[in-house]
Amino acid sequence: MKQSQSWQSTALLLMFVAFMSFACKKTPAPPPPPPPPPTANTGDTPAPALPAPTVTLRADTSTITRGAAITLTWESRNAATVDIQPGIGSVTPVGAGSRQVTPASSLTYEITAVGPGGRAGDTLRITVNDPPPPAATTSRGGDAVAPPAALNLTAQQIFDRDMKPINFDYDKSDIREDQKGKLQTATNYLKQNATVRLTIEGNADERGSEEYNLALGDRRANAVKQYLVSQGIAENRLSSVSYGEERPVCSAQTEDCFEQNRRAAFRINP
Amino acid sequence: MLLAPMGAAVLRGQQIDTGTTVGMKAVKIAVPEFRPSAADAKINHLAEVFNQTLWNDLDFSGNVVLASRSYYPLGNFVNPADIRPEDWTRTGVEAAYITYGSVAIPTSGQMRGAFTADLHFTELKSNRPALQPVRWGGGLDTDDAARFVAHNWASAILENLGFGKGVATTKIAYVSDRAGAKEVYIMDYDGYGPFPLTSLRDLSLTPAWSPDSEHIAYMGYRGSVTNIEIIPRRGGPSVPFPSPVGLNTTPAWSPDGKRIAFASNRDRHSSGDGPEIYVANSNGTNMIRLLPRPTSRGIDTSPVWNPATGRELAFVSDRSGTQQIYRINDDGTNLRRIIDDGGDAENPSWSPDGNFLAFAWKRSGNSRFDIYLHDLVTGRNSQLTRDTSDNEKPTWSPDGKHIAFESNRTGALQIFSMLADGNKPQQLTRSGINKAPAWSGYIK
Repeated sequence: MKQSQSWQSTALLLMFVAFMSFACKKTPAPPPPPPPPPTANTGDTPAPALPAPTVTLRADTSTITRGAAITLTWESRNAATVDIQPGIGSVTPVGAGSRQVTPASSLTYEITAVGPGGRAGDTLRITVNDPPPPAATTSRGGDAVAPPAALNLTAQQIFDRDMKPINFDYDKSDIREDQKGKLQTATNYLKQNATVRLTIEGNADERGSEEYNLALGDRRANAVKQYLVSQGIAENRLSSVSYGEERPVCSAQTEDCFEQNRRAAFRINP
Repeated sequence: MLLAPMGAAVLRGQQIDTGTTVGMKAVKIAVPEFRPSAADAKINHLAEVFNQTLWNDLDFSGNVVLASRSYYPLGNFVNPADIRPEDWTRTGVEAAYITYGSVAIPTSGQMRGAFTADLHFTELKSNRPALQPVRWGGGLDTDDAARFVAHNWASAILENLGFGKGVATTKIAYVSDRAGAKEVYIMDYDGYGPFPLTSLRDLSLTPAWSPDSEHIAYMGYRGSVTNIEIIPRRGGPSVPFPSPVGLNTTPAWSPDGKRIAFASNRDRHSSGDGPEIYVANSNGTNMIRLLPRPTSRGIDTSPVWNPATGRELAFVSDRSGTQQIYRINDDGTNLRRIIDDGGDAENPSWSPDGNFLAFAWKRSGNSRFDIYLHDLVTGRNSQLTRDTSDNEKPTWSPDGKHIAFESNRTGALQIFSMLADGNKPQQLTRSGINKAPAWSGYIK
């Protein structure tokens, strides 16, 4: 065949070589970190809390074997006096406290807080069982302040048992009443494991935009963080991060699944 | 450059004309298959890749019409002597131009072992070359090399016809979990040639291109710290913004490349309030809150700049109770709501000429998002997608003729593109979850 035109080779080959240098990572020296930016003013100040007293009484377990010790923990706010019966009496009315007890039989502890804003109370039922026959030992609850090894569970297993994810309503970041039990268990765990630092991971279900859900997850993580701080946990032990809708634990498009994904989960910091 | 005007957009029912071929007299091109120079399985395959890529580039450009191959004369069209103009202009074909030629892997010479194409583009009326015949090489003998040559040839043809460079050589950044963790990837605009850009092995989200298409800003996770990071598009180390606090997300470059807007609650993270819009230098210094005082404790996010003026931004806020799109001057003044027809409006993307916002809208009473166009001149909205899935995250091509978006219409989230009037939707990704597309500018 006749070649009627003269072909021109082009520089495209060179262009392509430059194009393919995607594959070879260049490593220019990163610029030195610039100085931190000026801090802008903070947001709104929260409204002052009402002075009505609140009080809670919890234990590391509600069932023990006779002879074993149990740790009661309590927490009060806005109280002038706090009293625990039977057998304990007045305790310091400020913040949180704990006491190890060895009840001989089942009983109900009652805590009463009185302050300028009124009176509040809480009760805690402890069941004391007879020691089991030697074959069936369950040492759980034996000594709550003992190191985790004594409970035959790994530290992670105890963390997983006590630090359950907190669930939220659709498009909400308020702490639901039905989630406060889990938060109390989490609080107790953090008080008994004072060296543990953790990250609270806020998550959202897939509805709504990715960007909105990142912000919503952040709100949820912060709501849990603030709750734990209000229960006396030091803020510097708690980090938070939002994963938005990026890390679902359940992928079906059902309300049940969405509910599982609307959560704040806990992770031990290494 | 003669970009078709988008300002003359006309609404026809629910259809919008943004200057694509809809309703316009389009240039018709014949594109017979480029012939492999040898009977060899490899070059046959590369010829197929080249032919398909070139056809798709021209077809999807929205600027030209391709003459149907069923009316072409029989034969091989490799050299000018093989072309009889009357065969290509007669009724049925009616082409104004033809591109044809051959492809090979030379066994000797400068381009030995590489995919090459001998390329012709001829105006049929005058029977003269509209572009000088040329031999281009792809450097390698791979599918990517064949596609690279085809993209550049399509681009040259469109530019020669006065349509600007077209999108054939542009790219799309996006988020994919195909290798496990969600990382930022880049692919060609047609979905081929994907490769991972970040390797945080944690989470990388919300990619955005610099106006020169040389860098990508994104939200990177390092443990419990989220920050805006910047990475060269050809790879290399990420450079984070200084002193991250709280949530830092959705970066967007100003059209002059000097500033980045993003959403952060850095000044009120401990109170649990939502993010606000910040503007910083593109290296993260001189961070200032766009609205000088907090006007809401809610969520402000997803800022985008008006690319035509660089003097105002659009963003999403739930300050009214639902998520809506607002616009504001870049000095923090003149805040006003754009979409005020109820539902949830999200993901604003400003058209390159500044006249349209593409956005995702879940209208009142609907449970799913669709892509809409808002005409900033007339204030009217028109619907571009309509199905039972969620269609979100629109992003404009640099020529303003295409929109890519994410959709779960095939199950998991995938990336699609379409003409800016909603026509010619095509799926670009298939492996894993792929989302948050960001269309590049013109790649230099």
